Amino acid sequence: GTVAPGAAGIPEPAAGAAPCLDLAELRSLACDALLQESFYQNKKRPFLYRDQEHMPAPFLTQLVSTLAASLSGRNPLLAASSMDLNAEVNYYWHHGEEVVVHGHRKGRVDPVRFQIDDNPHLQIRVSKQLPEFVPLESDLGDVPIIDHKPSKLPLFKKQYENKVFIGSKVADPCCYGHTQFHLIPDKLKRERFIRACLEDQIEVVYRSNGIASLFAWTAAQAMYQGFWHEADVTRPFVSQAIVTDGKYFAFFCYQLNTLALTVEAIKNNPRKNICWGTESKPLYEVVEDGSVKGFNDEVLLELVCFLLNRPR
Amino acid sequence: LFQGVRQAQWLTKTKLVEGLPPPVLSIIDNPAHQLDDYEEGVKRAISHARFWNTTEVAPRREYYCPVLFEDLVHLCRMMSAKYPPLAKRMLARNYKIAATWERESILLQIRGLNGILMNSMAPIPPVASKEEVLATKEHVLETFYPISPTIDLQEVNVYKELNDTGFRDGYPYSHPHTLFFLESANVRPKRFRPEQLRAKMLMFAFGNALAKAKVLYGNDPKVLEQPIVVQSIGTDGQLFQFMVFQLNTTDLVSNDGIKNLVWIDSDQNLYEKAQCVPEIKKKVVTKPAGIYGFQPDTFKKFLALYLHGTV
Repeated sequence: GTVAPGAAGIPEPAAGAAPCLDLAELRSLACDALLQESFYQNKKRPFLYRDQEHMPAPFLTQLVSTLAASLSGRNPLLAASSMDLNAEVNYYWHHGEEVVVHGHRKGRVDPVRFQIDDNPHLQIRVSKQLPEFVPLESDLGDVPIIDHKPSKLPLFKKQYENKVFIGSKVADPCCYGHTQFHLIPDKLKRERFIRACLEDQIEVVYRSNGIASLFAWTAAQAMYQGFWHEADVTRPFVSQAIVTDGKYFAFFCYQLNTLALTVEAIKNNPRKNICWGTESKPLYEVVEDGSVKGFNDEVLLELVCFLLNRPR
Repeated sequence: LFQGVRQAQWLTKTKLVEGLPPPVLSIIDNPAHQLDDYEEGVKRAISHARFWNTTEVAPRREYYCPVLFEDLVHLCRMMSAKYPPLAKRMLARNYKIAATWERESILLQIRGLNGILMNSMAPIPPVASKEEVLATKEHVLETFYPISPTIDLQEVNVYKELNDTGFRDGYPYSHPHTLFFLESANVRPKRFRPEQLRAKMLMFAFGNALAKAKVLYGNDPKVLEQPIVVQSIGTDGQLFQFMVFQLNTTDLVSNDGIKNLVWIDSDQNLYEKAQCVPEIKKKVVTKPAGIYGFQPDTFKKFLALYLHGTV
């Protein structure tokens, strides 16, 4: 999709940072969740290549549920939110053109079809849209142009079913997305990249996950509200996402300004979608003997600001 | 367990009381808790679990049962804005319990993954008064002669008599509060029938309480000064079973003396029927889609058990 590259840092409106936030209380909740999953609960060894299910996944669930519960007093939107584990997000769209290579339709021009099927670990949906970060028509940069087809990478090749789904059906009153939490799968662990001397690719994983998932989610939300590539969105759709591997957290905010990505619609479309993102930072250094060493308050504060985001 | 709850009662030396205990009932009846505001939220949770959750038209039980549970617990957790001590709770999934005891020269043990446990920092205060506990001395446990009480329990060779709460020492949330059992198998034969589910709930609530008692008071069998209370909620996505278990004694070898107590409120429907697709007969909609027979009282009991011990 048409997405502007992320500007560094997160836009300020994510704060609304309430006065006298009890950071010590929240820190102790986060540490308790971490200690329970990594130290106190008696667990067997993790299954092969399924480390993520062993500690990071339950830790993330615990962390977000307890933090959301204690912050629900400050953010009434959270109190009426819908929290989903292992939700499903799908989005289907056309962008660009290609010539059919072989078959009985050889030589004809077809739009390139894209389908994203995402599985965020946790999804928080609310009944009111988050406020926009920048006005609808703003232009913060240029979109890189890629000449070859995505199936060369290979990406978007296997599309089993083309569907659009935000996590629940249209009848759900909680139809706007608030925040999603994604876990990096085991095959893309940091240690593997470092061993293969590909440290510069670590951030790419986080960024690509953030951009793709958030685009799919916001665009699906827009479709649920009746917009499509011929009837473009009249207000921006905003959602947030946190991509993590259990220790390192990267934060992303996304503003969907346009759905018009097909060949005809994109001709007179100056709008661009915008994604802001941070680099991945560790929440803690290490867990030793029943205590957490090197807890990073900044990351916790960022997470809290994300959860507290609400319409003014 | 063949005889269901009666067999579990004999195995755990427990006396049964129908209905929920007075402290829990007083939470339900207390208007200050405003349990009525949650009706909208509960209906939304049921619709979310039964209708909206997946792209399929009618989500199957293995999806809707856990989703309903998560949504109901999410609603309960939001109450911690009103009652800050509620934040001192932690859910533990996939934890293992181990407890061993002797009943009339038969060595029994409970092991393994059971359900989802909610732990709290503070224990639930004893639910029955001291007089009630002493009165259990008179109660005689039912036996089902000639069927042996261990008829359909698995016989294994025990090499280690293990007692393990599932968590290491120093865990701040050290008191088991409520055990949740989700019968989410799609196929009926794989799910526990309500009677067996209640028996399973009793056995595991007992196991958790016993393991905690042995950690707190040592391995010698004795009558507990401070009885340990563990609650249990079981559901298959529609029918709920509520249970409050109080461990009064770890002296389980003989059939006399003080017994343990359990209060059971069984077969509470949260809703009668969830119609995913409207029923159409002869091209006329006879039953539109939606939830039928919603019972708010069932959620009130769920919430009361959640709040018990903190309010």
